[in-house]
Amino acid sequence: MILIRYVEQSLLRLYAQGLMGGTVHTCIGQEGCAVGVVSAIDRQRDMLFSNHRGHGHYLAYCGDIHGLIAEIMGLPIGVCGGMGGSQHIQRENFYTNGIQGAGVPIAVGMGLAERFKGTGAVSLAFLGDGTFGEGAVYEAMNLAALWSAPTLFVVEHNGYAQSTPSSLQHAGDLSRRAEPFGIPVTRTEGADVIAVFEVANRLLGQIRAGKGPRLLFLDTHRFAPHSKGDDFRDREELERINRECDPIQRLAAQIGADTYEQVRKAAEIEVDIVLQELGVQ
Amino acid sequence: MAKLTMAQALNQALREAMDEDDAVLVLGEDVGVDGGVFRVTEGLLDRFGAARAIDTPLAESAIVGVSIGMAAHGLRPVCEIQFSGFSYLAMQQLEGHAARLRWRSRGRFSASLVMRMPYGGGVRALEHHSESKEVYFAHTPGLKLVAPSGPRNARALLRAAIRDPDPVVFLEPKRLYRAFREEVPDDDEPMALGESQTRREGNDLTLISWGAMLQPTLKAAEQLAKEGTEAEVIDLLSLSPLDDTRLADSARRTGRVVIVHEAHRSYGPGAEVIARLVEKAFWYLEAPIARVTGYDTQVPFFARETDYLPDVARIVTSAHQVLEA
Repeated sequence: MILIRYVEQSLLRLYAQGLMGGTVHTCIGQEGCAVGVVSAIDRQRDMLFSNHRGHGHYLAYCGDIHGLIAEIMGLPIGVCGGMGGSQHIQRENFYTNGIQGAGVPIAVGMGLAERFKGTGAVSLAFLGDGTFGEGAVYEAMNLAALWSAPTLFVVEHNGYAQSTPSSLQHAGDLSRRAEPFGIPVTRTEGADVIAVFEVANRLLGQIRAGKGPRLLFLDTHRFAPHSKGDDFRDREELERINRECDPIQRLAAQIGADTYEQVRKAAEIEVDIVLQELGVQ
Repeated sequence: MAKLTMAQALNQALREAMDEDDAVLVLGEDVGVDGGVFRVTEGLLDRFGAARAIDTPLAESAIVGVSIGMAAHGLRPVCEIQFSGFSYLAMQQLEGHAARLRWRSRGRFSASLVMRMPYGGGVRALEHHSESKEVYFAHTPGLKLVAPSGPRNARALLRAAIRDPDPVVFLEPKRLYRAFREEVPDDDEPMALGESQTRREGNDLTLISWGAMLQPTLKAAEQLAKEGTEAEVIDLLSLSPLDDTRLADSARRTGRVVIVHEAHRSYGPGAEVIARLVEKAFWYLEAPIARVTGYDTQVPFFARETDYLPDVARIVTSAHQVLEA
């Protein structure tokens, strides 16, 4: 989580310095979701379909800081040869794209293919609360439930789609949207990485046992703007969530100040080495 | 060797592909119990079971999206969109992901799927059941686009499309499903995507067409022959990639070209064919290239449909103008 945050902060800095193109959507504040869920998967066989806010998922999946930053800088040594950028990263069983909800049916198809082959693999689709506006999500959930696809839907509910609060976009209770399809929903606080891991682990076990798709609904907070300078949220509210809902501070309290400091330093050094290798530190 | 309709020949191709490779499966609206609205998937459910002949909900986006996921993970899905007019609901998945997966992953992944759909007019149907919008797909890098013109090449092209590592949009001219029968060989008949065929040889004029329009084009060539004009007729078969070498070779020889298609005129497929001929055969052209096409309106309902679709008379008139220019 600490490493993800350093990378995200570095990316914002590099963007401000004009060293990157495209756009950069950071997951600062949501690291607990990425690390908790991805730590529970079987990296040898499970598949992840991430989204426009996918750096944390990617780093939790493979820790490839160098490939990620180089990719976003458009360098040939980036994980996709510098052709995909922030939102189009593919490596092994990790996929992303920037189109809201579009990866959800694809993830269901991947899960079905693996079930067809009998590998026991599970596919995961990450979506945000804003993504519930897209029809493809419901088409995919219907098929997943109907065909009992081995798919875990992970909702990172940060309360905003870019600048528009969830309350202005969605009628009803988002956490219950999957229920009419017969998909069981488990709701957890994203800032508690250990709780997220435990719940994800349990749900993946159920899916692997052939019980069909599950949905993990994570309440979380995005500390940084959607992209860069487009944050219209209330300052006091932002300060409050920074103070109370930071997954890293939560973990620090659990592991103790000394351990936290060791991990923090190690992460900082690791990211700095990559930035130096890329000539941007 | 059996004399088959195009619907039967396509059915044979699917059956053969599914027999040969367990990874091949079909999915779509009413493809299982019903065997598809045009009966192209008939019997597949009985032979291969519900795991490989899959009835889906009315959800084109999910049908194509799930197919992409299946294809990326080793299956060979052949999805059916009931009519090409319904495909726009799946366009995001097709254009945004199927077509881009290979490019985006620098060749490490591909969406080896086939999206079959009936297209074109001539069956007295409603507008979304009659249209020819080939260019939506042909304009998209990463997609291949195929349109057979009869039972024999339909079977061979569908087999080739299923084997192809890239996403192939397979347009089935719906008025040809039962229009005529052809001998279809029992053995597999290799056919490459991206190659056109010369259906009639001639040195006076080149007529270029594909799909259902090939029939009136061949008839127009026969009529011209009675007047002493020998027209060459080229069947494109693949619109993307486009076999412009054969087209340019013919245009260099005849110097006169007419393109025939059902699609709307403006920015239609004919415009790209003309551009290629201008690039490759400009100095050999004796006359401006002509197009006989559908009009820039939606396809009208059955009472006016014949006004919209190119026919033998329009093709011959256009050929005369090109010959006299």
